[in-house]
Amino acid sequence: MTTTAISDALYDELVGILGPDGVLVDKPARWNRTRTPAPFPVHRWRELVPDVVVLPRTTDQVAEIVRLANRTRTPVVPRAAGTGLTDGATPMRGGILLDVKRMNQIREIDLVDRTVTVQPGINMLKLNEVLQPHGVMFPDDPASYPCSMVGGRIGTSGWSLIGARYGHTRDLVCSMEVVLPTGDVIRVGEGGGRKLRKASTGYTLKPLFIGHEGTLGVVTEATLELVPRPQVEFAAFFGYHDYQTAWTSTGALAKSGFATLAGVVLFDEWKLAYLRRDDEAYIEQPDWLKSVVAVAMYGNEAEVVPAAREIMRIGRESGGTYLGDEVSQGDWAARHDRYAIPLHGRLRSGEVVPMSWHCEDAALNYSVLPQVREEWHAIADRYIREYGIFDDWGMFAYTNGAYKPWGDYLVEIDIGIWEQKLDDTNWEAWLACKREITEVTLKYGGSISACHGASREGDVEFVPTELGGGFEVMKKVKRALDPNNVMNPGKYLLDRAYQGDQEED
Amino acid sequence: MTLDADNDAENTAELSREFAEQWRDPAYGCFSSGHKFCRNVCPVMGVTQNENHSPTAFHANVVAMGQGDLTVEDVAADYVHCTQCGACELRCPNTLMAGDFYRARTRTVDVVKAMRALAVQSGVEQPRWKRWVEATVDRRNEPVLDVPVSQDNVGRWADGLGLPVGGETLLFVDCEAAFYRTALPRAVALVLQAGGVEFGLMREQWCCGGPALEMGYVEQSREFAEHNVADWRAVGARRIITLDPHDYISFTEDYPRYFGDEYEFEIVHITELVAELVREGKLTFTVPVERVATYHDPCRLNKRKGIHQSPREILRAIPGLDFRDVDHVTQWAYCSGAGGGLAIEKPELTAAISAQRLDRAAQLEVDLLVSACVWSERPLAAAGEERNIEVRDLMELVAESAGIEVTT
Amino acid sequence: MFGFRLSAQRPPEPRRIKDDVVMRFDHVYEVSPDKMTVFRQQDLPAWDTERIVGSRWDHLDWMHRHFADKVLGMSDLGLREDGTPAE
Repeated sequence: MTTTAISDALYDELVGILGPDGVLVDKPARWNRTRTPAPFPVHRWRELVPDVVVLPRTTDQVAEIVRLANRTRTPVVPRAAGTGLTDGATPMRGGILLDVKRMNQIREIDLVDRTVTVQPGINMLKLNEVLQPHGVMFPDDPASYPCSMVGGRIGTSGWSLIGARYGHTRDLVCSMEVVLPTGDVIRVGEGGGRKLRKASTGYTLKPLFIGHEGTLGVVTEATLELVPRPQVEFAAFFGYHDYQTAWTSTGALAKSGFATLAGVVLFDEWKLAYLRRDDEAYIEQPDWLKSVVAVAMYGNEAEVVPAAREIMRIGRESGGTYLGDEVSQGDWAARHDRYAIPLHGRLRSGEVVPMSWHCEDAALNYSVLPQVREEWHAIADRYIREYGIFDDWGMFAYTNGAYKPWGDYLVEIDIGIWEQKLDDTNWEAWLACKREITEVTLKYGGSISACHGASREGDVEFVPTELGGGFEVMKKVKRALDPNNVMNPGKYLLDRAYQGDQEED
Repeated sequence: MTLDADNDAENTAELSREFAEQWRDPAYGCFSSGHKFCRNVCPVMGVTQNENHSPTAFHANVVAMGQGDLTVEDVAADYVHCTQCGACELRCPNTLMAGDFYRARTRTVDVVKAMRALAVQSGVEQPRWKRWVEATVDRRNEPVLDVPVSQDNVGRWADGLGLPVGGETLLFVDCEAAFYRTALPRAVALVLQAGGVEFGLMREQWCCGGPALEMGYVEQSREFAEHNVADWRAVGARRIITLDPHDYISFTEDYPRYFGDEYEFEIVHITELVAELVREGKLTFTVPVERVATYHDPCRLNKRKGIHQSPREILRAIPGLDFRDVDHVTQWAYCSGAGGGLAIEKPELTAAISAQRLDRAAQLEVDLLVSACVWSERPLAAAGEERNIEVRDLMELVAESAGIEVTT
Repeated sequence: MFGFRLSAQRPPEPRRIKDDVVMRFDHVYEVSPDKMTVFRQQDLPAWDTERIVGSRWDHLDWMHRHFADKVLGMSDLGLREDGTPAE
């Protein structure tokens, strides 16, 4: 009962490259490789499926597939874990879905020059289980830590919960092998080095291949940073009577200057109300608690102990009340795999309904957080009242800069969406809400996305505005590297790079 | 198309609609979250890396069926790829972080069983499962490989032990142990005797019915249950001891659903009972077991029932044993691949999963892998042979260290 | 008592903790069941609640050990439980 959406000739060529086990044309294979945890127009699911799924194991196979795609003008969409919070791994035009999960080998653990070389389909938690006996760690720690994969982290230029201490994904890639949109294979790093952290030979190309959402090729191998496995972890959660004090305290903690500071997280009143609905750590917290700040440190005991004592002093003196070891340690441990739980969705009546999670992830400066917070909540509130399928799950602000956590923040407002009720009208309402949120971000000099990427509807319309002349350069780069527009076409408005001299769909 | 075929098609469509309606919300709880934390603890995904086999897909397919995008014919073959180990449901934040709070948790095992049942009802059967269940119905016990299986010899493992039939406490011996690994139930019986536990056997023991249910053969499974419970009642049993974790699941989850409040039996798993005997000093370990060993957490004890302390307690009490433990949370991702009918329909995947498990044991430089699930021991032992790691059951070690000679 | 008995699996009646939260077992919170009319509560026997709660704490402990050898609390810093300096 299989519906084959590709020609026999294309199928045969793909099987020639991968063997029959590596080419899937059945409907479940195609239907199950499109959604990501971002809001998904489930009512239009069938419009967003690929035509064929391929499961390569080697760089050569990936390169051959991409060359075949160029020859046949077939779209190729790379997909690693499919856990991204935008739609990078969702095919817009059918085509070949290139699933890298079988590219999950560890090539080399180099304990002398401190790198690990992996294929893109490996998950960080699994990788660290292997690294642990060696006393080292790959410290890329998103909320999807137990499920996301190195390839997707690079593709979206991810953010790490402990990035203030250890850097974010882009800071942790020494070099990588990339299959370009034409099928050529290159290695990009610092200059020509494979395990170098800094070079100035030639153009600085490496960042171009981090965060392109699969529009500029496929990473097939990455040489990554190893850090010493931390001797100790320290987490402290402080409570506050009001947001303003918590915001001031956040600034003081983030500016403390300790190298072991891994991150500071500011929870607002809405977030606490949300946590109080279900979370055992918060249900019994006193009513005066309107805001929380979490601080975490990692490193050697000799460094962390005195620094942590200072952090406790700063927290106290800036108006925070320590919430205790149990809340601090328990809640921090849960932050390593903090994806939303659908049943936290509530209608205005308080009724529990399963909602999916939109996590806005703007990058904003510290100074504007209070204003942005007010405006975002006001927008969410209007849509909740009007449509009855949305829910405001509150806001976090996380320190955003690697090693320099003081000036800007990953600011998220979490909005629940009852997808079972989606139709074209409600989906449009959601996009309108998203656009209003984005406009506020830009008004305050922020960037649409700190870590998810800005390729989805509701974001992408504003990318040319945000980037200005930079977007013109993006188009030129895209066209230069991907002359046939086969890599993840339809994303980031990059079809505009080809307008005027190529057939439009 | 004939009239009958028309009716069949209509019937299948109606069954599918009912199925999608029944499982729509639980499936949507997974689909809308999209965490996929399950994927990295799923033993089948660990060897196929094919997302068709991911627990997430098993739920998403239900949503797609509800929208008319997929049919049971499209997806049935994918649902073979599950050992029903329960790792996915436990690791899912919807269970682990909030299942108790909402009294609603992720139900992948139930969804897989329901989809398999729908497939059987819709005439989409897997050939090896079909033959297996037919043979089980025919012989009242599973057609365990290589040995004659019939009611005539279901109790033959106990020859010479002088065990009574009936009594307040019964020992239920699953098919694999009764026909194939007969030394294991003998060891269990002798250990129980040494510990002063009075027990008897059933008059006529049938398969527990669990495997048939796991493969989607609901009615057949129920018949086995009806028989066994009638037999228990007829001999006045109050307490059932299981040595197989799969039976423990059947008796604590399936049977209560069949019999409701009338189901009055106490169900005890052997590791829990033996740990208690050791605690109470009724069983003492005197013979050192000079081996380097690690423990394999059987999925149906550890992940599905939260039983992981008692076997470790027992192992730590055995003198001479160099016990190199891997904690039970890490072992959420471990499996033998033997459960849920996978070994019958896809033996090559079971072998690959067992091979991964033994690779992990080999990294600990052990010479012995101790399991507490008789069904896991055949594929694990096969993988162990290639790595010079012996696979034994916990109860065999218990007997040895308690100085009990298990004669055959 | 370590065996399974169906009669022991029925959870106790809930008592109200606050507006939308009740409690059946000590320290185990539950959403007010009257909020679960759209998405239905399931038959969750006592053993399952116990398994989930136990597994949650085991998992969080595991996460700590995964990221560092040791977790520091106030006593390790020479501070009182509330984070203030000892006299």
